[in-house]
Amino acid sequence: MRADRLLARSSLSRRAVLSGGAAALALPFVPRAQAAEPINFATWSAAVDQVKAHLAAFTAKNGVDVAYSNSPFAQYRETMITKFTGGAPVDMLWVSDSWLPEFAQAGWLAPIDSFKNLTAYNAGTSDFCNQSMMYDGKQYGLTYYTDYMGFLYNADILAQAGFTKPPESWDEVTSMASAIKAKGLLDYPVVFGMAQESWMIEFISAMVYSHGGRLIDDAGTAVLQDGKSGAVSTLNWLVDAVGKHKILSPGCVTTGELEVLKTASAGKAAFVLLPKYRLRVLNDPAQSSVAGKFRQALMPMGAGGSHSTVGWMRFYGMTPRAVANAERGQNTAKLIEWFGGKADGDYRFQKTVLKDLALGFGVKALYDDAEVRASLGSYGDVDLMAQQQTLAHKKDTIAPWFGEWNDSFGTAWQQAITGKTSVEAALKLSATKWAELKKAG
Amino acid sequence: MQRISHDERAALGLLGPLAVVLMAVTAFPILYSLWISLFAVNLRRPARQPFVGLDNYLHVLGDAQFLESVTRTAWFSAIAVLAVLVIATLVAILLDQEFPGRRILSACLLIPWAIPSVANGLMWKWIYDANYGALNGALMQLGFITQAQVWLGNANRTIPLIANAFIWKEVPLAAILLLVTLKSIPSDLYAAARVDGAPAWHRFVHVTLPAMRPGFLLVALYELLMAVRHFDLFSLLTEGGPGGASDVLAWRIYVETFRNLSFGTGAAMSYILAVATLAASYALIRSMAQRL
Repeated sequence: MRADRLLARSSLSRRAVLSGGAAALALPFVPRAQAAEPINFATWSAAVDQVKAHLAAFTAKNGVDVAYSNSPFAQYRETMITKFTGGAPVDMLWVSDSWLPEFAQAGWLAPIDSFKNLTAYNAGTSDFCNQSMMYDGKQYGLTYYTDYMGFLYNADILAQAGFTKPPESWDEVTSMASAIKAKGLLDYPVVFGMAQESWMIEFISAMVYSHGGRLIDDAGTAVLQDGKSGAVSTLNWLVDAVGKHKILSPGCVTTGELEVLKTASAGKAAFVLLPKYRLRVLNDPAQSSVAGKFRQALMPMGAGGSHSTVGWMRFYGMTPRAVANAERGQNTAKLIEWFGGKADGDYRFQKTVLKDLALGFGVKALYDDAEVRASLGSYGDVDLMAQQQTLAHKKDTIAPWFGEWNDSFGTAWQQAITGKTSVEAALKLSATKWAELKKAG
Repeated sequence: MQRISHDERAALGLLGPLAVVLMAVTAFPILYSLWISLFAVNLRRPARQPFVGLDNYLHVLGDAQFLESVTRTAWFSAIAVLAVLVIATLVAILLDQEFPGRRILSACLLIPWAIPSVANGLMWKWIYDANYGALNGALMQLGFITQAQVWLGNANRTIPLIANAFIWKEVPLAAILLLVTLKSIPSDLYAAARVDGAPAWHRFVHVTLPAMRPGFLLVALYELLMAVRHFDLFSLLTEGGPGGASDVLAWRIYVETFRNLSFGTGAAMSYILAVATLAASYALIRSMAQRL
């Protein structure tokens, strides 16, 4: 044995040094057992510390390494598309429901239907959440977080105007806001974000649903131009709120979701549409000058409508690269469950992001969890939150061409709100664009 | 056959790698984008990217939305370039005078130029905000307005207001360039004009302005290039809105390429923008150079 001989000598010979050096140089080319490649997990830059901590626990328990990367949400879709088209290794990622058809159709996402440990969670999850992760009859993920558009009001301003209850209908919103304006409490009591940004479709969908309408029907045909669709009455309400009643600022077309939050936090709004999780910020004394005064009400009803709202999903998806290898696929599914399902028998990650960041969950049973109720109850009415979630519906505009359509849709609504075009013309234009894109595929 | 000298070989050896890197990071993307502008490249359909020749160009040139964005870009560029030239000239003349605090003022003037574009955009977004903006606050406190105004949300004001933010950032550099030109005017020209009895206004019109033409040409050309392809403020302040009122060429190219994922037509738009910018620059150089 060479090692024995080397050990037997009192000093290393020149031959031994040379042969050892040659072996060291040849080491990279010698076939050897490869260490398992980590699971590549990509997210946008949110809940970074919570994700890292939960990943560390996963690796410690399962012995599977995970390579985690994140990029800003504003550039996330483009970043992921660049990665996919460039062939970068991605096994698991956060996906927005808005991108699901686009990603699935391009072959960047793999269905998770064959992983029964994941689909087992569907029974206990809100319907709109499950539907938001489905495309073409297949399921593509498990919940990261979910939420819905909430109707929030400043109870203090309402009380000053003599109101003891929030509005039940959009007509009541108009009359109450007009009264608040007439009393000189606020110039524009209603603050909605109609800027061209990713939230716009959610603001509009929430209002359309509460008017009992749809933008796109179940067959994938645009119905927003139909007088009975709810979109016509919604856009008319917005146009009148700006032009006729002057309860909503014309500046709403440059007001984004964050500006709505800032305005409400500064006490400059009586009624806002915001993601429900923003209620925590509005009632946090460290972040809001009107902490404790904001409440949630059920979404006001339009004529013939209901308290329905829109819900959305951000979920854990898996790529074809992950499922191409059985072991990698299993490990990725295990990681998805660790985050989107139970970890050590509990919905640990959902509770963590709820407590730390107020992010919502799709698991219905969590509304009965004492820890969850205590967290939500510190800034809102838990039962009302749960009730509104049962009235949330998925966005009906999600299609492979959604991104392209949404751009012209937002422009058309803004033109109607600013009086550059009529309500009918704006909706007809949006419907025509949808039909064109659907035809092109 | 001429032999390459030792020095030339050394130069080639030293500069060659750099030239290869430059070619790889500049020439290749330029040529590759020209190539994909001839294909129906949409990343939503990665498997279906047929050769379409000049169809992307014809489609873009027949698209009303694109042509409207060209008009808006021309309007924005005209406002921005003219205003920068006028304001920078006045600032340069001011800084050419001797007065206490001139050096401090010169240093302060550079602050807008030193601010990163994104920070500049966010700052103006806050200033213009209709709900809690500093502009409304200042005007109300000074008694000029009694109710908060909608600035960027008013489609008629959007382009001039974005141009204002652009001008604020661009004036310092333009002023410094024009100041350098001013300093280079021979003093004996002014002395001769004074001997001829020319008053200050005549000296400015007949001596200063003609002598500043090279500086004007440089600034006008630079600002034209900056304005035509400007993207940051349109993205940060309005995202092309409201209702498409600030949908300029650079924004349209971004939307077409990265939101709609249509790289073929996006590349065609970029080439049309490049050719138009080249033509405008050439026309500007020709018209001003003839007077030099």
